[in-house]
Amino acid sequence: MRVALVGNQNCGKTSLFNKLTGGNQKVGNWPGVTVERKEGVILGTNIEIIDLPGVYSLSPYTDEENITRNFLLDAKPDIVVNVVDSTVLERSLYLTTQIMDLGVPIVLALNMVDLLQRKKCDVNEKQLSLDLGVDTVKVSARTGCGVSELIETLKKKKPQFAQKHVKKYPEIVEKLLINARNNIKTENSFAIIEKILHAGDNDVNIVHSRQVLEKLYGKDLEQIFIELRYKYVSKIKNNCFIGENIQENNSNIFDKVLLNKYLAIPIFFLVMSSMYFLSVGVVGRFASDWLNVQFVLLLRYLKTWFSGLGVSAWLVSLLVDGILTGVTSVLSFLPQLVVIFLCISLLEASGYMSRVVFIFDRLFYRLGLSGKSLISFIVGSGCSVPAISATRAIEQEQEKQKTIILSPFIPCSAKLPIISLFVGEFFADSTGFVTMSLYFFAGLIIVLSAIVLNKCFFKTKNFAFVSELPDYKLPSVKYTLRDVTDRCKEFVLRAGTIIVLCSIFIWCLSSFSLNFRFCDNISESILAKLGNIFSWFFYPIIGEFNWAVTVSAIQGLIAKEQVVSSMSIISGLSSGVNGIFTKGLFSNFNAVSAYAFVVFNLFSAPCLASIGAMRNELKSTKKALFAVCFQIAIAWIVSSLIFQVGRNFI
Amino acid sequence: MMKSELKTDCDYLLSKVHVGEEVVVVDLKIQNQFLKRRLLEMGITKGVSLIVKRKAPLGSPISFKVRGYELGLRVDEANSIIVRLKK
Repeated sequence: MRVALVGNQNCGKTSLFNKLTGGNQKVGNWPGVTVERKEGVILGTNIEIIDLPGVYSLSPYTDEENITRNFLLDAKPDIVVNVVDSTVLERSLYLTTQIMDLGVPIVLALNMVDLLQRKKCDVNEKQLSLDLGVDTVKVSARTGCGVSELIETLKKKKPQFAQKHVKKYPEIVEKLLINARNNIKTENSFAIIEKILHAGDNDVNIVHSRQVLEKLYGKDLEQIFIELRYKYVSKIKNNCFIGENIQENNSNIFDKVLLNKYLAIPIFFLVMSSMYFLSVGVVGRFASDWLNVQFVLLLRYLKTWFSGLGVSAWLVSLLVDGILTGVTSVLSFLPQLVVIFLCISLLEASGYMSRVVFIFDRLFYRLGLSGKSLISFIVGSGCSVPAISATRAIEQEQEKQKTIILSPFIPCSAKLPIISLFVGEFFADSTGFVTMSLYFFAGLIIVLSAIVLNKCFFKTKNFAFVSELPDYKLPSVKYTLRDVTDRCKEFVLRAGTIIVLCSIFIWCLSSFSLNFRFCDNISESILAKLGNIFSWFFYPIIGEFNWAVTVSAIQGLIAKEQVVSSMSIISGLSSGVNGIFTKGLFSNFNAVSAYAFVVFNLFSAPCLASIGAMRNELKSTKKALFAVCFQIAIAWIVSSLIFQVGRNFI
Repeated sequence: MMKSELKTDCDYLLSKVHVGEEVVVVDLKIQNQFLKRRLLEMGITKGVSLIVKRKAPLGSPISFKVRGYELGLRVDEANSIIVRLKK
């Protein structure tokens, strides 16, 4: 048996999903569209459960909403668990009326009843069940209260009995539906209504009744149906809602400060800069640096230990200089990532993120973007892949595409190693300031690129901004921990797979010469020869033809953290593991070329995973290629300019 | 309760209503069918009452309470919602 979880955004669907499955979930791919959805099995049963993206209605507006609509219409789950935020009963039940019309058996999960009861209100669930003709269960996904009752209800439910049509509309409309039902031969009233709304002129019967209705109500049929649904919902709500939902709550008090005319913007910058200070400054300086030193010591120890065991020199070199050097140089940045992932998770779960959208919408509107673009940009400071997926919430196609192209410009966590390495070496006295300047630079690049995109490639007007400001919630510790662990796991997994493979590949290329002989001098290796072919590309940025820099930067395409691993592997082979910049291939860097090179790496095409995500969301290989070329071009122009101008000052 | 600056029985654009006032939706004057449906489905139907909650620091969007929740809308769109003072 398959159960679908459906509900508005922010109704606590995912928390309920976690409670129902006990966190025993797998992320699956949808056939056709590559979109993440969560699937799991309900604890103690064999009922499959699917968590669908939050929607306000079954009409398609955004890609995300389309996923839910298509699942309900095409995949036909056996039961729908409609999660309802009891504190916003009226709006939530609107979606319920649409699901009811589908004819699928429904269990209504009245979530957040505990929050409602705290406001001295309640819902009479027996009355609601009677009025709607569906099963209702009061739950609290936060505390877990009522979850076992919900599971019992699901177990008892027989999927083969389709929901009978419940009369919701005035007699004349119901009559029209019965007529149409006989013609179309389906129990699915939702499909019938869609058919009536979009009937062609040859459906004489339907067109006639439609004209009768439009004449009677004096507006178009679509509006009539929405208003009739809300009328029905209001009546039901008045019948079973107990108490009066008084408006003044804690959220209001918070918003008086956080959305204050003068304080809102300073507070936002304070929040963001403390997030970076904590991650790059405090944790970065102590935890990551400490870890780095430990890794270096470990590698040195392993090398002597292996040699002592009599392992052959090339195998030691492959294991230590190749694989382990590559992997550890990436892993030492994990502490910083934990902090960034933690902050983003808290911003999202608390409800502050939707305030940020509200505060800055006007600014983004001017740039031809949506306020919701900012969510992608903030999430992008963690990783571009979820940032690109987050653009699904943007209604207008062009705003969405622009956001997809622009969000990789935000320095993601995998680019932090590059920043830390170069800034730590060349700007040791002012790391904080220079790092901030790079983020500021990113903002500037986004603004400039948005203007270029608007002037040259996209030429339509903005679309409306419709966004809910949900009540602030205290993020649950369990949920936050799980979220952070999931994201870190993904990062470590990548270090264990892609980075290992690339490290082996780089090591091979750097250890063998063109006639496949193991060589000691790296400048005779295949890698050096390959790098030489492309080194002209970086000449304007670093001021020399350097194959090692070229090869490292190109590897950023595989994964950004690979740039640093590649540099340590190459210099490890030629001069020793630490002190990349002291002698050898990378010793010609100075402050200006270092800054220019970092800028190039920050803004050029993102890693392959992000390019894949861009292709998915843009739904076109051609557009994704355009995005990649656009990003490389911007990065090359800007970093060349920095070096060419900057070198006159040193 | 603050004294209203709006006259009763007079139509206003939602964007002109001051923070804290309660109004009733009279009409949606929106050409874009897509947007109109979106607003209707979010509960902004004829006769529903709205309380204007706040304006963003940069003047747009504005937010209001409707059917028990808070919704944000750009001034451009708020201009197409015609309201009247709640009696």
